[in-house]
Amino acid sequence: MQKFSFNRRLVIIIVCLIVSFALMTVSVTIRNKKSTPPLIQQFGNDIVGLVDRVVALPTNGLSSSVSSISELLNTYQENQQLKQQVSELAQTKVRDQTLAKENKQLKKELKLNASLTDYTAVSAAVITRTPSSWQNQVVINKGAAAGVQKNMPVMSGSGLIGRIAEVNKTNSKVELITDNNDSANRFAVQITTKSGTTVNGVLSGYKSTTGQITMDNITTKAKLSKGDKVVTSGLGGVTPKGLYVGTVAKASGSDYGLATKLYITPATDLSSLNVVTVAVTKQ
Amino acid sequence: MYRLSKLRFGFPIGLFLLLLLDGSISQSFSVQLFRYPSAMVSHLVVLWLVCGAIFEADQGEAYPMPLAVWAAIAGAVFDLYYTGIFGVYVFVFPVVIYVTRRLVLYIRPNFLSGLLIYFIDITIVEALGYLASRAIHLTTMSGSSFLVNTLGPTLAFNLAMFVILYFPIRWVYNWLK
Repeated sequence: MQKFSFNRRLVIIIVCLIVSFALMTVSVTIRNKKSTPPLIQQFGNDIVGLVDRVVALPTNGLSSSVSSISELLNTYQENQQLKQQVSELAQTKVRDQTLAKENKQLKKELKLNASLTDYTAVSAAVITRTPSSWQNQVVINKGAAAGVQKNMPVMSGSGLIGRIAEVNKTNSKVELITDNNDSANRFAVQITTKSGTTVNGVLSGYKSTTGQITMDNITTKAKLSKGDKVVTSGLGGVTPKGLYVGTVAKASGSDYGLATKLYITPATDLSSLNVVTVAVTKQ
Repeated sequence: MYRLSKLRFGFPIGLFLLLLLDGSISQSFSVQLFRYPSAMVSHLVVLWLVCGAIFEADQGEAYPMPLAVWAAIAGAVFDLYYTGIFGVYVFVFPVVIYVTRRLVLYIRPNFLSGLLIYFIDITIVEALGYLASRAIHLTTMSGSSFLVNTLGPTLAFNLAMFVILYFPIRWVYNWLK
């Protein structure tokens, strides 16, 4: 009798393991292939997201009031620095407006409707973050209803922070570029060097010890120097051209010594995200 | 009399509240908790489940709760809402309940032995989560850096949470009973 019950337990454990692996494989496949999760999952996520907004309200309010007090302490110094920057920015902004207008007119003359740089920004608030150490993922409060689609790039502050991994009706999951899984941070980017040549490439990972994005397998002979700006190139997919990623921190030989490996300092602080912007492109 | 007590509704409400609070804590204190490369993962929902099992054992036969079922439901919500990969925590949380119920048969649960049981449970949650993530290529972290960067800080954070929240949660259970 003892032996029988032991066997039965073993069978239960093995069946559970097999079912677990099957479910995981199915959901990973769905995540990689389909643009939206199954309807039931979407529905459930929408309901949980709704409840979560209520739960998250007091905690997020608490943390924002704490941070606003700590920010108050160095306001004076910051104010003086910012005043200088604002006067410079006004000039840039006016110039930017003029150029954008000119660009629009020229595009009209060429009968060019949508180019790679066109996108509309949808801003969203971060509801919650996945409590897990290998999935750097946040849930935002805009979904398919606001025009968000899978794989769209997400920005915060001045730079790129990740891409949409899963879309529900009223919320969606954003996979940050700090996530090191197989498909998280492959963005097509380009770097314009000081001499004017453009180097194309793909982001390849994130180095957590230094907090830098890596970009591997660059075979160009162009000299890349520290401080060169990295922007998305708009090639191959839904990412528009010209989203700021970061600056080059270091260029070194790659792991096998044949190509160059770049280390990029991200433009935004990726650890504290409250409001993000989804770049929605017309397709 | 579990069927007649407030616990019947209070337990799931507390469970989902803490489940959602896990995400909110991770979001609000992400600067402090996720200091790369190390990460402290908040598992308040596991604390609620383990405390449920401990207090259930304290009360004797009068309050048998359907803990494993609620654990599986909480795990399913965790999988679908937080990670997007179904089939990991929906099995891990019931395993935690099973292990805790086996352990309280041998160890008389009180504050200190509860701390030990919770230590084992968090290790199980993190280790199984890590193995699953390795299996489906969510992470390429090596075993040794998992121990140092994730398991260590996570254990420290969650045991601190246990020390802080054990008596408040016991008070809530006694009030709900």
